[in-house]
Amino acid sequence: MSQAADGSRDLTLTGVTKEYADFTAVKSLDLTVPQGEFFALLGPSGCGKTTTLRMVAGLDTPTTGSITLGDLDITYAKPYQRPVNTVFQNYALFPHLTIFENVAFGLRRKGVKNVAQPVEAMLELVELTSQARKKPTQLSGGQQQRVALARALINQPEVLLLDEPLGALDLKLRRAMQTELKRIQSEVGLTFVHVTHDQEEAMGMADTIAVMNAGVIEQMGSPVELYDNPRTAFVANFLGRSSLMAATVKEVTSEYVKANMHGTVVSIPIERAHVREGSAWVGIRPEKVLIAAAGTPIDAPGNHIEGGIVTDVNYVGVSTEYLVRMPWGQEIGAFAQNTGHQDILPVGSQVDLSWRPEFAFLLDSDEDPNAGKEEQA
Amino acid sequence: MSDVVAPRRRGPSVAAWLLLPGAIWLALFFVVPFYSLVATSLFDPNGSVLSGYEVTWHFANFSDALRDHWRPLVRSLVYAGIATSFCLVLGYLLAYAIAFKAGRWKTLLLVMVIAPFFTSFLVRTLSWKLILADNGWVVDALQAVHVLGPEDRLLATPVAVIAGLTYNFLPFMVLPLYASLEKIDLRLIEAAQDLHANPFVAFFKVTWPLSLPGVAAGTMLTFIPAAGDYINAQLLGSPNERMIGNIIQNLFTTTGDYAAAGALSVILMALILVLIMTWVRKAGAEDLV
Amino acid sequence: MADLDRRTMLKALGALGLAGASAAVLPAFGTPDRRQDPASCAAQDLSASDPRLVFSNWPEYIDEEGENGEPSTLQQFEKLTGISVSYVPDVNDNTEFFAKVVNQLGACQSTKRDMFALTDWMAARMIQMGWIQPMDRANVPNLHANLIDSLRGVGWDAERDYSAPWQSGLTGICYNKRLVPEVRTMDELLTRSDLRGRVTLLTEMRDTMGLTLLSDGADPADFAKDDWDTALEKVKKARRAGQIRAFTGNDYVQDLEAGNIAACVAWSGDVIATGNEDLVFVTPEEGLMIWSDNMIIPNLATHQANAEKFVDFYYQPEIAAQLAAYVNYICPVKGAQDAMLEIDPELAESQLIFPTDETLSQTHGFMALSESVMRTYEGEFADVAGS
Repeated sequence: MSQAADGSRDLTLTGVTKEYADFTAVKSLDLTVPQGEFFALLGPSGCGKTTTLRMVAGLDTPTTGSITLGDLDITYAKPYQRPVNTVFQNYALFPHLTIFENVAFGLRRKGVKNVAQPVEAMLELVELTSQARKKPTQLSGGQQQRVALARALINQPEVLLLDEPLGALDLKLRRAMQTELKRIQSEVGLTFVHVTHDQEEAMGMADTIAVMNAGVIEQMGSPVELYDNPRTAFVANFLGRSSLMAATVKEVTSEYVKANMHGTVVSIPIERAHVREGSAWVGIRPEKVLIAAAGTPIDAPGNHIEGGIVTDVNYVGVSTEYLVRMPWGQEIGAFAQNTGHQDILPVGSQVDLSWRPEFAFLLDSDEDPNAGKEEQA
Repeated sequence: MSDVVAPRRRGPSVAAWLLLPGAIWLALFFVVPFYSLVATSLFDPNGSVLSGYEVTWHFANFSDALRDHWRPLVRSLVYAGIATSFCLVLGYLLAYAIAFKAGRWKTLLLVMVIAPFFTSFLVRTLSWKLILADNGWVVDALQAVHVLGPEDRLLATPVAVIAGLTYNFLPFMVLPLYASLEKIDLRLIEAAQDLHANPFVAFFKVTWPLSLPGVAAGTMLTFIPAAGDYINAQLLGSPNERMIGNIIQNLFTTTGDYAAAGALSVILMALILVLIMTWVRKAGAEDLV
Repeated sequence: MADLDRRTMLKALGALGLAGASAAVLPAFGTPDRRQDPASCAAQDLSASDPRLVFSNWPEYIDEEGENGEPSTLQQFEKLTGISVSYVPDVNDNTEFFAKVVNQLGACQSTKRDMFALTDWMAARMIQMGWIQPMDRANVPNLHANLIDSLRGVGWDAERDYSAPWQSGLTGICYNKRLVPEVRTMDELLTRSDLRGRVTLLTEMRDTMGLTLLSDGADPADFAKDDWDTALEKVKKARRAGQIRAFTGNDYVQDLEAGNIAACVAWSGDVIATGNEDLVFVTPEEGLMIWSDNMIIPNLATHQANAEKFVDFYYQPEIAAQLAAYVNYICPVKGAQDAMLEIDPELAESQLIFPTDETLSQTHGFMALSESVMRTYEGEFADVAGS
């Protein structure tokens, strides 16, 4: 079932735009999904990721732009003419057909006579052989999701689209399905395009992630790249958490950019600095911030800021999440793993913070520091 | 503390009280008349309205009635069947359009479907008599395009009767169909298309099967009253188009032969019941019945 | 397993019980003999103290409003006697009205009416059932003095003890002279090819079959089953041939005027009422039917004397003439023709309101039928005519 990943059937979107009467959902999108890759489109609701997916599936037509599969132009092809299948968010299983018939549907439409064998093989793959004669309403959410997957996969599409397929499942089941999907994808070797708003899910499953916001792709790359070195505040806040602190660039060397951040001079490696002059945001992830009681030496000294006061302590089991108010008023997050070496610092403690320069990043000051943050509950 | 739980168990539940008015209504206006009808079908045929009728378990009433009146009986079922088929085709198209293509005109279109009910059934059928008159514009137009010969007419023919039946019962078909189609999740159609079904195939494999409960309900609501109808045959047909409803009406009122009339009514009821039960089983809408 | 058996057994027993109880209760739905005795089933006459009268009649059968400022006959009656008349035109059809009152009359209960007007055969039936009160001869002198000879004694009320004709009518043939040449006989109506599919007959069995019997030379007032069968076969043949478009009630007039039909069996008054010059009422060569709507007083009427006054009033020639001028049916009152000269000389000449003796000699009534014979004939006719 594996297809040779020779790049001849990459999915490419060029300048794809989707305009509606009163707003534009997708603005001139350019992206390439290499053949055989697990690709994630990540973004908050309303960012245009589902619209993009539907255009690839053929359920919507782009206003301008083109979509190609290798050298096959499928921009205006009908959904039933494309070698593309979709796993829908609500599964869209046919309630009047058995599981067997649901899975067999695509094959039957293509005129395949002997459907029993491939259907049974597929049901085995998703471990639903015993449910073959039941109707969708008799299955649990997780089982339905697997049927939807089987139903799409059996057609051996060149691209499999998944529209937030795990959204309706509980946490444990979702984790299990994520592993399952990843396993199946690598086993079968198809191109998967997975749309989701859950950044943990995207990071766990995808080879490449494209972060979308308001119809455009903010940044695209591997999960490590995106997480480690975000280029925009949106990406920095959307993937994991970041603290962004105002600073002014002081000096640029061949290896570092030095910036004055509220009196402390911090260094950022040159390849992680996305602005070289003027005002900027210094970004650091809370798990990279080391915290210690004021005056005590910090394990791995780097950029060092004093004068913080703990305002919140959140014990999460694996780690303790501190919120520290800095002298300039901003609250910085610092996550300490509960290794047992340090006692938990109570609220009100005076602390010092530190981080290694290779973990910081520098963003353009035009960026909205609150972009991509979670909504307050 | 136990007082809080106990009261639930005493006396009939709220559901029983709510069902009571409906049950009384059914008993009074269905059960009693039903028994009366069965009794009538077993009257001694030699009785009369004036000298009185006695229930003598005269089962020969049924065979006599069938022997005398099987033709209009069959004709009624055939006319009702044809009218129901027309209603199904027309009604399905209409319901589909309203459910899927109407957009903001949906409510207006639904009102227009129901609007004829604001006038009486009789008045509407009478107006058909005017429309289809021999020297009316419909007949003239059909004669002009040679669909009708110069001596032909529409009134007093089966065409007029069936047309009247179709027209009068169309809303009964459209509304259940609409209700059923409306519930269909559009994403199922999208899924079908995604799975390589073109729009026609998607319709037959997804939309149509999912609309079957509506089809079953609509056909029942149309066929049952149409089979027993007599207004359309009386106003728009000739004696050759008489339906079983006309016969029964006549037997009851003019002839005064209650036994035959009762027997025919029971036969009609039984026939319709059998037809409906087989239809429902076939259409797979058991949960409706 | 035992539980299942028990449950099925209980269900079966329950079903049997229901069936048994149903069977037991069915005979209760039989209907009683409805014969009554007018002598015993009578109410006290309140006419002296209560000047009211409730009269059910056919529609368009009385001049309720006066014309040209003149008071109508009804208004004159009310003024003269001080009786306030509740005139209800709710008789549309003999059988329909019968259904309205059968339960009350059959059980000796009040119909809330003092008088109604029904056609001969229905009046006969009611009189035979003992549902009608006789009128006091002393209170209706005009009736017995002025009733035209041809209506004096009928088989079902030889002395006119119970009934007083309100209006009479002729049943004959009407044709549209703009569409077809003259139709002179019933046979022409039933067989002429230029009339194919443009003929209607009446659902009223006595009218249609009466004319057909006449066309065979039989006497509708006295015929045998063979005559009936022959006549019915003639109608059946015409129907099979597609000669007859429909069997109608009194809605044939619309079809006539619309041109949907060219000729039909018709009632004289309807034809005059259209005022349409193209529609011609014809006395068939073989004879025609005459019928009357009769005023009768039901059991338990409470204003009998007032009703009798009403009857007596309308048997005055001047009043009868004024009524006939409006209603356009045959006036049963002697002397009215002369009185009509004062009102509308043209109408005084009309054969359809004041038929000559010669015309009257061509008219026939329909035989009175026993219940079972009526059932047979009505049934056989209904098979042919439907509704």
